[in-house]
Amino acid sequence: MTARRRGTAALLRWYPPGWRERYGDELAALMEDTTGGEVPSVRLRASVAWAGLRERGHEAGVLGQAAAPTSRMRGGSLLVLCAWVAFVVAGSSFAKLAEHFEGSVPAHARALPVDAFTVVQWLATVAGLAVVAGAVVALPSSVRFLRAGGWPRIRRHVLRAGAATLLVLAAGIPLVATAHRLTPPQRNGGSLGYSLAFLGVCALVVAMAALWTVAAVVTVRRLGFGPRALLAEGTLAGTVALSMLAITAATAVWWASIATSAPWFLWGTPVGSAGSAFEPQLVATMVLMVLAAVAAGYGAGRIARSMRDLRTA
Amino acid sequence: MASTTAHGLRRANDPPLLILMSLATGPKHGHALAKDIEDFAGVTLGPGALYGAITRLEERGLIEPLGAQDRRRPYRITTSGTAALAAAVADLRRIADVGSARLGFAGGQLA
Repeated sequence: MTARRRGTAALLRWYPPGWRERYGDELAALMEDTTGGEVPSVRLRASVAWAGLRERGHEAGVLGQAAAPTSRMRGGSLLVLCAWVAFVVAGSSFAKLAEHFEGSVPAHARALPVDAFTVVQWLATVAGLAVVAGAVVALPSSVRFLRAGGWPRIRRHVLRAGAATLLVLAAGIPLVATAHRLTPPQRNGGSLGYSLAFLGVCALVVAMAALWTVAAVVTVRRLGFGPRALLAEGTLAGTVALSMLAITAATAVWWASIATSAPWFLWGTPVGSAGSAFEPQLVATMVLMVLAAVAAGYGAGRIARSMRDLRTA
Repeated sequence: MASTTAHGLRRANDPPLLILMSLATGPKHGHALAKDIEDFAGVTLGPGALYGAITRLEERGLIEPLGAQDRRRPYRITTSGTAALAAAVADLRRIADVGSARLGFAGGQLA
């Protein structure tokens, strides 16, 4: 195989396997005709990759209206699940940032951030329980799938996620043990080695969460749901999405109130000192939260439209 | 026909519609479709966009594949595709007629 053909084959990997099987050769031939045998431009590669991702979105039921309402509902629910995992990453960052904030806020201005933080905690619990309930609803279908010999179809993904979990444990347990021997200032940036190790374990945890999410998505896409189970999953996904939107709003309120009444807390500077509201980690956290909440809202919208289509069908 | 005027007021560059228009004159494979659409509409459809639209049209039964020649597979418009194209063209014509009337055009010329 020539380097050019290998490049085209690599580009086709952006498309879902079923699509590649049906249209792959034709698209490769069209690319060769379009480029006259030359190496495709970066722009052409990017547009083909983007089209491949869109095709994956169509196949997953998160784009377009061509798929059956049940597929769209399942796609919307899985999109909410993926968004929730990203949201949990952002939420963990927020929880770390907001640790012990009450003591830094003047008493007269404490009520609003405390209330906002309490709302975040309650809604996170509600959303977490909804995700667990969704897993419980999917359990009978999962058991049927495994009994019908489905394990080989998901084995690779589950084993990969399991290996990532073992890696997190192997790295995380020594880190926790080390943390117990350090003083609070050392744990909060005073020790460069500990800080780097902490960031490394955080990255591993994020990778582990992503791999388990992929395993869950791959599995759920192969499950056979009855109408009632699908409706329950859609309703739970809608609950998660609404909770995420409300958590994002409550986090914004917390941020605004802390930035107004205790900006020193955001920067770890002495009480009474001035500071900008835009602390980089908090900004990044908020951006991820908003993106995840928007994605979940989009997924919930597709679920709602699919439910309406099912009722009218 | 351009995809937009200099003022960007007209949009007739929907890939599925352009593909149906192109196939109305006979079966074509991907590269021939892209060339024809560029010629009559001035719209350059990249391989990804073209095959995305072909996929949707085939799913909806508006076009169908013929036997592959080498790795190039021609497509032809179906009866449903012809009906859908006729309806879309009628819609475009109605909108164009309204625009013409409001601008005082008669037969494409300013009255």
